[in-house]
Amino acid sequence: MAEVQVKDSSGKGGKVRSKKQVPHVDLTPMVDLAFLLITFFMLVTTFNKPNVMDLGLPAKPKDPKQQPDTEIKLSNSISLIIGKDNKIFYHQQDQAGLNDQTLLETNFDREGIRQVVEQAKARAANKDLFTVIIKPTDDAIYKNFVDMLDEMAITKNERYGVTDVKPWELAIYKRKVGE
Amino acid sequence: MARVKPKRHNIRVDMTAMTDVSFLLLTFFILTAQFAKPDVETITTPSSISQKLLPDASLMTILSTTDGKFYFTPVENGTERIALLDKMGQKYGMTFTDKEKVNFSNAQSIGVPMSQLKGFLDLPDAERKAYKSPTGIPMDSTKKELIDWVQQSLAVNPDYKLAIKGDVETKYPRVKSLFEGLRDIDYLKFWLITSQETAQ
Repeated sequence: MAEVQVKDSSGKGGKVRSKKQVPHVDLTPMVDLAFLLITFFMLVTTFNKPNVMDLGLPAKPKDPKQQPDTEIKLSNSISLIIGKDNKIFYHQQDQAGLNDQTLLETNFDREGIRQVVEQAKARAANKDLFTVIIKPTDDAIYKNFVDMLDEMAITKNERYGVTDVKPWELAIYKRKVGE
Repeated sequence: MARVKPKRHNIRVDMTAMTDVSFLLLTFFILTAQFAKPDVETITTPSSISQKLLPDASLMTILSTTDGKFYFTPVENGTERIALLDKMGQKYGMTFTDKEKVNFSNAQSIGVPMSQLKGFLDLPDAERKAYKSPTGIPMDSTKKELIDWVQQSLAVNPDYKLAIKGDVETKYPRVKSLFEGLRDIDYLKFWLITSQETAQ
């Protein structure tokens, strides 16, 4: 173990001497165990913390009649409607332009929604003001919502908003999913 | 002149110092380790690429289960918990015995409406730990007890932070009602607990 016996070469041949015993406890196994436990506790302390993502909600307007003065141009924004069964729809239309053909469906994959958002952003007239509007329907589940927020973090879209789905969008959505 | 005899010796590493240090570290890590207490109900959190870890601040947690029930976990600090219970009692016109207060400060998560809270706190310890609420804390447009819990906690100590741990299958309207409630009390910044996902 940690001690190395050095052969004494100057011994006077053949004479058997009683060995001098140094009282000595071999600490190696104890140290092994102690380090194992240290490693364990170190890992446990760092890994039991879950990850978090920040979420800031907009403050409620003090005066309910006052409309927010930020009008977003249609071409500079994209609306994502999160539906049931992990379905997601998107459009860049207003009430008049939205119909069964202009409300398009995609999925949560890398090739799906991320490309849609990036393409829309590339087309946008003013890329700094490009806004993603997330509209979860009542059929959506929490996971879809977090996935979308995550997607915004991945694509580094700072400007996004979460709002309720409008009745005219809901009507088209319901027709699309066959309700 | 006498010949100097080569001394017979063992080469030996003295491990005492290392043992001392390693046990000191071991003691430190054992004492500081905080084991994650299991949640009342199993919750699978959604994944995100966020690298940020849950901070150490005084944290209250809202659990939202698959079937849309809410549990509220007040901060760990015992005295502040009792202050919170007193405040909630005042608001709902209830008084609590000392035993109930002690039980409250040791309880894991609260998942019952205020009207059943006394009954919940009077349960024997083992039963209380295993108790799964059929209703959760009421949270809808008329009864916002969950928001009251948050609000009264903030009244005890405005530095509290809020983390929301939602199950992947929670219906969005439930989450929305919670968010709307938090907006009503102007509490706008909080954290969503997620699990680690590697960036694609």
